[in-house]
Amino acid sequence: MMEGSVLVIGAGIGGIQSALDLTELGFKVYLVDRTPSIGGRMAQLDKTFPTNDCSLCILAPKMVEVFRNPNIELMTYHEVQKLAGKPGDFTVTVLKKPRYVDEIKCKGCGDCAAKCPKIEVPNLFDMNLGKRKSVYIPFPQAVPPVYLIDPELCLKLTKGVCGVCAKVCQAEAIDFDQKPQEIELKVGAIVVATGFDMPAKNLSSRWGYHYENVVSALEYERILCASGPFGGHVLRPSDQKEPEKIAFIQCAGSRDLHEGVPYCSSVCCMYTAKEAIITKEHSDNSQCFVFRHDIRAFGKNFYEFTQRAQKEYGVKYFQTKISKIVEDPETNDLIIHYEDLKTGTFHDFQANLVVLATPLVPSTGSKDLAKILEIELDEYHFFKEKDYFNKSKSTKDGIYLCGFCQGPMDIPETVADASGVAGQVAAFLNSVKFDHIKEKLEVPELDIKATDEPRIGVLICHCGINIGKYVHVPLLAEYVRTLPNVVQCEDNLYSCSSDSQTRIKELIKDHKLNRFIVASCTPRTHEALFQETCQEAGLNKYLFEMVNIRDQCSCVHMDDAEAATQKAKDLIRMSVAKSRLLKPLKEELLKITPTSLIIGGGIGGMSAALNIAEQGFKTFLVEKESFLGGNLNYLNVLYPIEENASDFLNETIEKVNHNKNIQIFLNAKIGDIKGYVGNYIVSIVDSKNETHELSIGTIIVATGGKEYKPKDMFQYKKENKNVITQLELEQKLKEKGKSWLDDINRITTILCVNARQVEGITYCSNICCGNSIKNIGLLKKLKPELEIAVLYRDLQMAKKKYEEYYRERRKDAIFLRYDLDNIPIISKVNKDPEKYNIKFYDTNLQDFIEFNTDLIVLSTPMIPADNLEELAKMLKVPLDRNGFFLEAHVKLRPLDFATDGIFLCGCAQWPKNIQDTISQANGAAGRASRFLSAKEIKTSGIVAEVDPVNCIGCGKCESVCPYNAIDILESAKDYEEVSLIVRKSFVNSALCKGCGTCAATCPNGAISIMQYDFDQITAMIESYLLEL
Amino acid sequence: MPKAKTKVIRKDFTPEILVFCCNWCSYAGADLAGVSRFQYPPNMRIIRVMCSGRVDPAFVIKALKEGADGILITGCHIGDCHYISGNEYAQERFGRLHEIIIKQLGINEKRVRLEWVSASEGKRFADLITEFTNQIKELGPLKVL
Repeated sequence: MMEGSVLVIGAGIGGIQSALDLTELGFKVYLVDRTPSIGGRMAQLDKTFPTNDCSLCILAPKMVEVFRNPNIELMTYHEVQKLAGKPGDFTVTVLKKPRYVDEIKCKGCGDCAAKCPKIEVPNLFDMNLGKRKSVYIPFPQAVPPVYLIDPELCLKLTKGVCGVCAKVCQAEAIDFDQKPQEIELKVGAIVVATGFDMPAKNLSSRWGYHYENVVSALEYERILCASGPFGGHVLRPSDQKEPEKIAFIQCAGSRDLHEGVPYCSSVCCMYTAKEAIITKEHSDNSQCFVFRHDIRAFGKNFYEFTQRAQKEYGVKYFQTKISKIVEDPETNDLIIHYEDLKTGTFHDFQANLVVLATPLVPSTGSKDLAKILEIELDEYHFFKEKDYFNKSKSTKDGIYLCGFCQGPMDIPETVADASGVAGQVAAFLNSVKFDHIKEKLEVPELDIKATDEPRIGVLICHCGINIGKYVHVPLLAEYVRTLPNVVQCEDNLYSCSSDSQTRIKELIKDHKLNRFIVASCTPRTHEALFQETCQEAGLNKYLFEMVNIRDQCSCVHMDDAEAATQKAKDLIRMSVAKSRLLKPLKEELLKITPTSLIIGGGIGGMSAALNIAEQGFKTFLVEKESFLGGNLNYLNVLYPIEENASDFLNETIEKVNHNKNIQIFLNAKIGDIKGYVGNYIVSIVDSKNETHELSIGTIIVATGGKEYKPKDMFQYKKENKNVITQLELEQKLKEKGKSWLDDINRITTILCVNARQVEGITYCSNICCGNSIKNIGLLKKLKPELEIAVLYRDLQMAKKKYEEYYRERRKDAIFLRYDLDNIPIISKVNKDPEKYNIKFYDTNLQDFIEFNTDLIVLSTPMIPADNLEELAKMLKVPLDRNGFFLEAHVKLRPLDFATDGIFLCGCAQWPKNIQDTISQANGAAGRASRFLSAKEIKTSGIVAEVDPVNCIGCGKCESVCPYNAIDILESAKDYEEVSLIVRKSFVNSALCKGCGTCAATCPNGAISIMQYDFDQITAMIESYLLEL
Repeated sequence: MPKAKTKVIRKDFTPEILVFCCNWCSYAGADLAGVSRFQYPPNMRIIRVMCSGRVDPAFVIKALKEGADGILITGCHIGDCHYISGNEYAQERFGRLHEIIIKQLGINEKRVRLEWVSASEGKRFADLITEFTNQIKELGPLKVL
């Protein structure tokens, strides 16, 4: 027996994304987090690199989505205790910790905390820099928006006195008698997404963390955050003064064999550049200094970001080793003792504030959880993956890993992982899909015509005393009753309670209402609830409107009840004016063809195809070459596992060839793509030049990348046989045995050849350092007496096990550092046998070095595959400025295109190693199969609509639409004697997201955006200003 | 049909300000100002749209015509737009709108502003409204067009 439900442990961005994808793939999800809110670490961040997107702005909508999802059971403040059963049929026991607040009754109004006697303790969400009461909500946007009581602090629970919260809570939600409760869950699979901790306290004292003005980077995120402890002012903790000189210390305890962790935490270089930039944006007077080791900026647009920090924002980077940080007791400034690695000299640096990039470690409790789940940990207590090629499978079947708990990674990698896990769970539990999914009961809709007289009902909420105390609600209700078309108006204590939902339904029925308005809090969290209630009463959900008289009236005009009440009157009147013009909107059902097309038969494409095929969907795999496997065909041995690439490749090709759901087209190309999500018609031209027309639901782009050939650079010429690229070396190692090395005694590898430049290829292509280091080891194995030199700029060895891998190889070669100002000069000194002279400035030794070498290996960046422009045009998706495909959102939608139904993975998006390519491939497969599983999707009613009479076919709307939802179509129209070609704009409601940019752009007012149309907004404006 | 407005002559000038908020960032910023109890003057009313890119210049002209003393269009910071690039179009369009308002209608350009507010900038939202309201108070009532 398999169970069609899944337990997700940890509700950070990884757990959230997994849960959302899993429900769409047909599974019920129990989302457990030991903290009182979902959101995890990402909720604590101020902004995200490399775009400086506001972290909460992009995360909060997902949190609300989880909260509103009927197939996710949110279990915050719960902990996993026991596991029994077997893969596919687990029984999990979780402990529900007492909140002492009934989460169904609590409306999150905050009256309790306001009245709680002032015993304030450090707030963990603000990294102990802010304060909270003993009854508290972790942060204002917490989900669920429910308070809890700290039992160690609460006077009632510790001493039996007080209890004032219970007295002021009008919802009667306080419950001091709550006890811990064990709950048993039946699940088919488990996803572990427990994230990381940043325990700065364990650091060696030389980092100075015990001083007040030395903070960890996560604490600094809170300091930067507008909703943080200092309201977004950059202040230092000791005297709350603005620091002028801020020092950012990299690798404070990372890459450290003696006192910290040996690995690289992988994200610090980037968040430091981000924090420095934001600091400069906050205060022009501040000076930011980064004490760095390598700059590890290997992701998409990362290196350029660190360059911008230096060039545009004047952030100063020093390549240093820190010996000690001490405090000047007079000023509370910090003195940093360091060695400047560029000059080899020792210095002291005085800073007002020090930010430490401390190691990120698996979150506390990982060991216990591993024991409970009986899965293995690696030597650093990250959860261990079953095999290198699938990092999201734990050592036990049916238990999957997602995000930082498996190894250091950033947000987009975590998100890709999360979708990949969802895809794999879907394949594993394919037979029990949709077993536990709640189908919504469809209530027949009332027939409301545009000509019907509007009959509006209004419900005004007191929100306990949150609105009622500052807005005169009875007067407000009296006023609203006088407004034309308002048939019924009531006020109540909590509009969101379940008895209120019943009341709303009664009102709609009893008074034959055809519009409904709730005046309470924010539609961002509550609109969906009321819309659902309306639907249950048969009222089209687009006939509902919400007015926010809490956050916009009572909360912000607390000492002016008259003005707050007047404002509430105006806002409701405006809403009534709009409401009169609302139309019932239709959500179209869109059938989805349950097939997928995968473009590119490399390891990414094959992995994606396998996952989708294992979920039971027909998959077409198109490859331009005559063989599958892409770049993997040219690789020799894979690092850090040291396995033959061909073994894994052959095994995968075998699987693909034997899967009945996969149809392969070799030597084939895409001829044409028409249609939209769920309904693509794709023509494929095969090797015999025959065209196949396929009906396709979703498309995955997995076109890979290729090595840059450094023509005429560093003596790379046809006649120079011993100047080769890294990939050419790879092939020699693979095919030629060792005899070719007979005459070669000294080899020099040059990294960053035409990468990380000021112009041209400005990016770091991520994989070259590791690949070069791997080949050093292989060369030494073949011929131990070889002398190998590596000329590098920064070594990008940030992934799990990479740092150690690099450390081991250090004995095989000498590593010499150069920089962009002094690029190595190579001259040929002998023709046969070939010999080359290398001259460059070694920035570590501070001197020019010159030596001869027999073989030069050039590590060049990966560049996009050929002819992507043509494909991008056909798919109507964008490329970035480096020619890779551009995803919908660099942080939270790394595998989606903005256009629904098209996804990407692997090196088509950005150069990456095999492990990450497979993780992304599984992720893209998971994302793509959501549509296939759903069979049909509902489009939103809030879409653009074109009035063809007024449309002049100018195409402005088409050019501003980010979703390719608008097409300008030509048709012939006959006017008496002449036939004219007429151009008109057409909106595809399946792709439209309802932003309304087209409507505002249309020069002729021909586009309406439903629910926000011209007349409705104009009515609101008139209603406000003309008191209509 | 809209009636001509009888403007109440008050002793203190209480401006009428219209604020357009996008659903994803600036409206959330306004929500956070509320949740955090940041106080600001009560002279403005918010109209929520999905994206700042939705704000038709005609709405602004209409509001000025009907007697709004100041108009604030707010959206996600550039790069943060939920709809990828809607705010960029809003910005572009706003540039042209300003030209019209300043040059053709002779309205003080300070009365119509475009500002970015993120979901975590509750304080900034409150400060912005305070500052804008004070500015409009200083400018005095807009003479109806």
